[in-house]
Amino acid sequence: MSSKNIVGTKILQIDQPFRLESGDMISKMDVAYETYGNLNAQCDNTILIEHALSGSAHAAFYHEGDKNPGWWDVMIGPGKAFDTDKYFVVCTNVIGGCSGTTGPSSIDPITNRRYALTFPPITIRDMVEVQRRLLLGLGIEGVRCIVGGSMGGMQALQFFCDYPSMFASFICIASTMRHSAQQIAFNEVGRRAIMADPRWNNGNYYDEVLPEGGLSVARMIGHITYISEKMMQEKFGRLRKNKGAHTVFKPSFEVEHYLDYQGIEFVRRFDANSYLYITSAIDNFDLVSSISGAGRIRGERRERGKGIESLRTKRGLVIAFNSDWLYPPKQSQDIVHFFSGLNTKVSYAEIDTAHGHDAFLTDHMKQSVIIESFLDSLERSG
Amino acid sequence: MHKIHRRTYPIIENWIEPGSRVLDLGCGDGTLLSGLVARKQVEAVGVEISEDMIVKCLGKGISVYQADIDRGLCHWHDRSFDYVILNDTLQVITRPYDVIDEMLRVGKYALISVSNFAYIGNRIRVLLQGRMSTKILLSGSWHDTPVIRFVSLKEFKASLQGLGIEIVDARFFLAFTFAASHGAQLVNLLARSGIFKLRRAS
Repeated sequence: MSSKNIVGTKILQIDQPFRLESGDMISKMDVAYETYGNLNAQCDNTILIEHALSGSAHAAFYHEGDKNPGWWDVMIGPGKAFDTDKYFVVCTNVIGGCSGTTGPSSIDPITNRRYALTFPPITIRDMVEVQRRLLLGLGIEGVRCIVGGSMGGMQALQFFCDYPSMFASFICIASTMRHSAQQIAFNEVGRRAIMADPRWNNGNYYDEVLPEGGLSVARMIGHITYISEKMMQEKFGRLRKNKGAHTVFKPSFEVEHYLDYQGIEFVRRFDANSYLYITSAIDNFDLVSSISGAGRIRGERRERGKGIESLRTKRGLVIAFNSDWLYPPKQSQDIVHFFSGLNTKVSYAEIDTAHGHDAFLTDHMKQSVIIESFLDSLERSG
Repeated sequence: MHKIHRRTYPIIENWIEPGSRVLDLGCGDGTLLSGLVARKQVEAVGVEISEDMIVKCLGKGISVYQADIDRGLCHWHDRSFDYVILNDTLQVITRPYDVIDEMLRVGKYALISVSNFAYIGNRIRVLLQGRMSTKILLSGSWHDTPVIRFVSLKEFKASLQGLGIEIVDARFFLAFTFAASHGAQLVNLLARSGIFKLRRAS
C-alpha cells in the first residue's frame, strides 16, 4: 500500500474589484483551489476540473487527518483517468459557494458583516470568470482539457465557448446546455424548502440556529433525483429499519433513513444561502443564448468569445448515463449536435449503468476507460 | 468476415473525394475512418453501438457517436455529409429501408456493402450439405448470429429501383482476389458480396 497523498486547499486573493455578469461588483475575492501533479516545462498539461452543485475545490487526495478523500478521487491520481503523473490537475471552488471561495456566507469587507442576501446574483459565467483569474494567477495560459459533470459540465461548456483559444478540449459529463422545466421545478422545490424554514430568516441566520430543516429537505429532494428508480428499489425496496414497526412521525423505511442521513450529512458542510444562489445560477444557465451575443454582457465582452471559429480545431467528449433521469441522455446528445454544428470534433458515449445521475461520481471504471482513451489521443495529436 | 469486409476499404477510399465529410455507420474500431483521415484528409464521424468500440475510436482520435443506427440519424441535418458509409452492417439492422433513406437524407452519397445470399458457394452448401454457410452469419450460429437480414445482390438492386435510388458505381467480390465492375454479368451467382455507391435518382 502506498501512503495517502495529502493535499491542502489554497486560497488566491483577488484584490481588484470583481465585476459580475449582472454588473454588480465584489470588492475583494477569495478563490479556493487545489492542485495535483506538476505543471510540465511546456505548461501544456493542465486539466481543469469543474465541480457540481455541492462540490468543492477538494477533488482528490486527502486533507491532513481526513478519513475520506476528495469528491472525485476515484478519477484523479497517479495512474487514474486524470493521471497526476502526467497531468497538472486544478480544481477551484465556485463563486457563491461555501468552501473557501467568496459567497453569501463570506464577510463583506465593506460592511464587515456576512453578505447573506446582499450577495449579488451569480451566473455560471461568473464562476468561470473567477477561474480565469485564478489560472492567470497561477501563470496558466492554456488548458489541455476542461472537465466537469452536472453543473461542472455547464461551467466546462461556458468556459470552453467563452475562451476557445485557452482550451484544446472539453469533457462534459451528465449535463445540459440549459435546464428543462422539470429541472427548474426540482430546484425551485429545494429553494422553497429552505425559504419556508423560519430559521432561514431571510438569509440572516449565521449567528443563530441554521435552517437545517429546510436545507436537508432540499438535499433529500436532490438525492431522489440523483439515483435511478431501479437503483433505489434494489437498494432499499420496502426494507425497514425496525422490523414491522409502523411509525408515522419517525422514519421507518430504509429509504427514509437514507434520505435523512443524506440531509443531515449535507447541512454540516453546506450553506443554505449558497444552495439558493448556486441552484439559481444553474437554472438561469443557457449556453446558446449566452454566446449568441445578448446585450446583457458587460465588461470584457470583446475578449470573451474571441476565436469561436477556432472551435473547429478543438475536440470534445460528451458522456451520458442511460439511467440518468435528471440529466437524460437526450440533453447530452443535444450538446454533441450543437458542437458538431460548430465543427468541433465531438464524440458521444452513453454509459450503461443503473446508478442514475450519481454515476458520474461513482461509475469510475467505465468512465475512466473512455476518458483515458480520449486524453491519450489528444496527447498524440499534440 | 474481416477478410471480405476489408476488401471494400480500398474501393471506398477510391470513391471518396479528398477533404470531404464522411459518416460511417457501424464504424467498429475506426480503422476505415482513420485510413480515410490519413490518406484523404476527410472530416470523419463514426456511429457505433458498442462501448468497447467507442473506446477504440476515441483512442484513434476519431469522433464517434454512440447510438443505435436503427433509431435514426435525426440529429444530423440534411446533407451534413458527402458520404455515408454502411459497410458490412446492412445485414444486422432492423429497418434497412429507413436507414438507407436516412443515409441519403444526411449525405449526398451512400456507400453500402451487401453480403450476397445467392452466391454460388452458399447455394452449393445448402444443396449438398443442407446447411447455411458460416460466412453469411458473421459470428455464431443461426440462433445467435447478429445477422437478421438475408438478401441477394439481385434483390438489393431491385429494392433500390423501388426506392428511387440510383447506382452510381458498384464493385463485386468474386472468389480469390477477383473483382467485377458495375454491369458485369452473373454477379448474383458468382460474387460473395458487393459494394454500391448510391445517390437519389434525380
